[in-house]
Amino acid sequence: MSLLSMALCRTTVRQALRMHCLQKHGCNLHTRSPAMFRTDHLYTDEGTIYPNRLFQRRRGLHGSRPLMATNILSVEEIFTKESLRNYLKKVNTEYRDCLKSVNSPEGKQNCEEDLKRRSTRVAHLAPLIDYVKKLELKQKECEEIDALLKDEDPDIRELAEIDKGACQEAIEDLRQKILSCLIPAEEVDESDLVLEVTAGVGGQEAMLFTAEVFDMYQNFADFHGWHFETLEYMPSEIGGLRHATASISGPQSYKKMKFESGVHRVQRVPKTEKQGRMHTSTMTVVVLPQPTEIALTIHAKDLRIETKRASGAGGQHVNTTDSAVRIVHIPTGVVSECQQERSQLKNKEKAMKVLQAKLYSLKLEEETNKRYQARKVQIGTRGRSEKIRTYNFSQDRITDHRIGKTLHNVKEFMLGEELLEEMSLALQQFSEQEALMDILEENASKN
Amino acid sequence: MNDYRCNCGSLVLESPELMEVLIRLNRLGRAVRFHLGHIRRQGLCAVSGGGASLGLDPPPVSGLSVLQAVAHWERRFQQCGVSEPGPSSQYIIAHVLGAKTMANLNPDVLTEVLTDKQTQRVWELCSRRLSRMPVQYVIEEWDFRDLTLKLRPPVFIPRPETEELVSLVLADLRVKQASSVTSLRCLEVGCGSGAISLSLLHSLPQLRAVAVDKSEEAVCLTRENAHRLGLQDRLEVHHLDVTADAEVVLRECGPVDALVSNPPYLFSQDMASLEPEILRFEDPAALDGGADGMQMIQQILDLAPHLLTDRGRVYLEVDPRHPELIQQRIVEQRTAGLQYLQTHYDITSRPRFCVLQKKAET
Repeated sequence: MSLLSMALCRTTVRQALRMHCLQKHGCNLHTRSPAMFRTDHLYTDEGTIYPNRLFQRRRGLHGSRPLMATNILSVEEIFTKESLRNYLKKVNTEYRDCLKSVNSPEGKQNCEEDLKRRSTRVAHLAPLIDYVKKLELKQKECEEIDALLKDEDPDIRELAEIDKGACQEAIEDLRQKILSCLIPAEEVDESDLVLEVTAGVGGQEAMLFTAEVFDMYQNFADFHGWHFETLEYMPSEIGGLRHATASISGPQSYKKMKFESGVHRVQRVPKTEKQGRMHTSTMTVVVLPQPTEIALTIHAKDLRIETKRASGAGGQHVNTTDSAVRIVHIPTGVVSECQQERSQLKNKEKAMKVLQAKLYSLKLEEETNKRYQARKVQIGTRGRSEKIRTYNFSQDRITDHRIGKTLHNVKEFMLGEELLEEMSLALQQFSEQEALMDILEENASKN
Repeated sequence: MNDYRCNCGSLVLESPELMEVLIRLNRLGRAVRFHLGHIRRQGLCAVSGGGASLGLDPPPVSGLSVLQAVAHWERRFQQCGVSEPGPSSQYIIAHVLGAKTMANLNPDVLTEVLTDKQTQRVWELCSRRLSRMPVQYVIEEWDFRDLTLKLRPPVFIPRPETEELVSLVLADLRVKQASSVTSLRCLEVGCGSGAISLSLLHSLPQLRAVAVDKSEEAVCLTRENAHRLGLQDRLEVHHLDVTADAEVVLRECGPVDALVSNPPYLFSQDMASLEPEILRFEDPAALDGGADGMQMIQQILDLAPHLLTDRGRVYLEVDPRHPELIQQRIVEQRTAGLQYLQTHYDITSRPRFCVLQKKAET
C-alpha cells in the first residue's frame, strides 16, 4: 500500500469515527489535533489504532459525562440508593450460600475446583459481610438512642446526645469501609509507572509548558517520596521540552498518577509573545503502568536492537562514542529509544524498561478491552485526544473538565504539592464512585 | 500528474541532443560545486589543523549559548573530517558543564550563555578533538556499565561490546557463587583501564580479582581506577607480560575460577586501516593480535588449563572470525585440557565471545 493511500485510509477511519460520534452524541468529540499524531511514532502504521484505543477502556473517567461531575455523592446519599441495598442483600445471600456449601458434607462432594472457588469467595466477602453486620447493629443502636432522646429526664437526654454523636461517626466509618470493599481494585493500581510527556499544538510555547508540567510531576514524585528517574529527555532550542519519559516508583504512584493521562491545555501570554496576545497550547501526558518481570515476557527473537556500531567491524576496530540504542519490538512495531547515558548497555537497559511498559500497556489494554466491550460502548470514541484539564494563567485557575472541578493558584498547583494532590484525590473519588455505580447498575439490570 | 510525466517522457525520447546537454550541464554544476567545496574545506582545515598542532587555537568566540556552541563545534568537526562531529561536540560541552550527556542537562541551561571560563575550556578541549584525539581521552573519562572510569592515552579505551562480555561472566559467576562456600577468584589478562575486573568486583561483592597487563601505563591506570572506586582491597594488579613472564603468571596468579580477557585480536594487516583516533592515540600492543589476530589468544588458551580450577572457565572477546578458528585448534590439540562451550553474539549479532571450560581431572 502506498503511503498516500495509507494516509487516506487513516483519514477515512477518523472521519467515520467522528460521524459515528456525531450521530450518537450530537457532538464532535473526536477531533484529534495534528499534534496527537506525534505520539504515533510509537506504533506501527497498522497500529495507529493503538493510540486511539490506548487508555480509554481501562477504568478511567468517562469524560462524556461532565454533568455527573457536579454531584460527587456523599456516602450517605449513596446509602439511600435502593440499588445499593439490593446489591448488599444479594452479596449477603451469596456469602451464606457459599459458606454453607463449603462447610456442609454435600458441598465437599462437589468438584474440588468449585469448592476452591467458593472458599476464596467466602474469604473475599467475609470482611464486607462483617462490616454490613456491624452497620446493622449500629443502626439499631442508633434507633434505641433516638428513643432515649425523647426521654423526660434531661440527664439521660444529654447522655443520649453524646452517644448519638459517637454512633453516627461509627456508622459513617462503616459505610465508608463497605464502599471501599465494593469498589474493585485495579490490577495495576499497585504497580510503578512510566510517565510520557509530549508537546502538542502551539510550537515553542507548547514545549515550554511541557517542560513545566514535567517538572510538576517530578515535584509531585518528591512530594510523595517516590523515586523519579528520567529515561528520555528531548529539549527544544529555547529551553522547552519536546518529549520526555520518566520512570516513577513508589507506593500508590500509579493509582495517584493514572488520571493525569490526556491532553492538558494551557492558556496564557507566552514568554515568547511580543505583542501580549493570549495563546492556547496543548501537551499530552501518558501514564503507563510499569510491568513487573513476571507479568510480561518478551522474546529476544522478537526484538531488533539498533546501535551506531551496527555497520563495520565493531569491537576493537572502531571507537564510537554515540551510545544511543533503539529497540523495535517486531510483532507490534513498538519502538523505544535511549541516549541518556554514555554506556551503551545502560542505554539498552533503559530503552528496554520503556519498551516493557509500552508492551505491557498494550497487553493490559487488550484484556481490559475484552472485559468492557459489552458495556460502555460510548467510551470507545474518546481517547487521549480529549482535553482533560485547562491551566488558565490569566484567570489563575485550573479546571479539570472530567469532573468540572476548578482550583485556583496555578503557580502553587504547578509546584506539584497539595493542590495537585487535591485534584488527584477528587479524580480518584469520582472514578471510584463511577465504578461503584457501574456495578450497581449492572446488578440492577440483571435482576 | 500522469499526463505531465508522459509528456516529459516523450520529450526526452524524441530529443537525445537535449538530453545530452542536460547531462553535461549537470556534470559541470557538480564539478564546480565540488571544486568550491574542496577549496573551502582546505582553507578551514589549514587554519584549524595547523593551529591545533602548534597550540595556536583560533580565539574562542564569546557570548555563545550552550546550543550555539554545540552547533559551532559540530560544524567545525564536520568541516575538518572529524568522526562523529555531533556527538563529539555534545559530549565535550556537556562534560564542561558537569553532565554526562546533553540529555542530562537541565533544559534551562541550554539557552544560557557560556561563561568565559567555560568557553575557554570548551575551546581547549574541542581543539584537542580536532587533532583526532578520541573524545574519551579529551574528557579523560568514560562510562563502562555502572562505572565511570578515568582514561588517558595510550591505554586502550573500553568498547561497548566488552560491557556484554562482563554480563556473560557475571551471570555465570553469580550461579557459581551461590553454590560455593569460599569466595571466587578471577584473573584478567590485559586489563587496560581495569574496566572488566572493576565491573566484576563492583557487581559481585564477594569476588576477588587479579589483573595483569604488560603495559606500565595500563597497570597504573587500573590501580588508579580501583582506588577511585574503592575496590582496591579486592584487586591485585601485576605488571606482567603473559608471554614473556608465563612462569611468574602461573606461580602468582592461579588458581582462579574464571579467566577473562579482551586480548589484542586485530589482524596485523588491518592495523593500517584503523581510524586516526585509534591509530594515533591507542597503544597498538592492546590491539594488534599478530597475523591471524590469535597470538595472545593462543597464549591465554595455553596457560588457561594451568591457571583454572576444575571446571573453571575462560571468557574471551574476539574478532568474528575467531570463534571458528579457536574451536578448530581445541579439536586439533587434544591435550589442551580445555573444552569449547559456546559462542555468544554481541548486540549487533556478530559472533564475539567465546566461552571455554577446563575439563575436570579424572
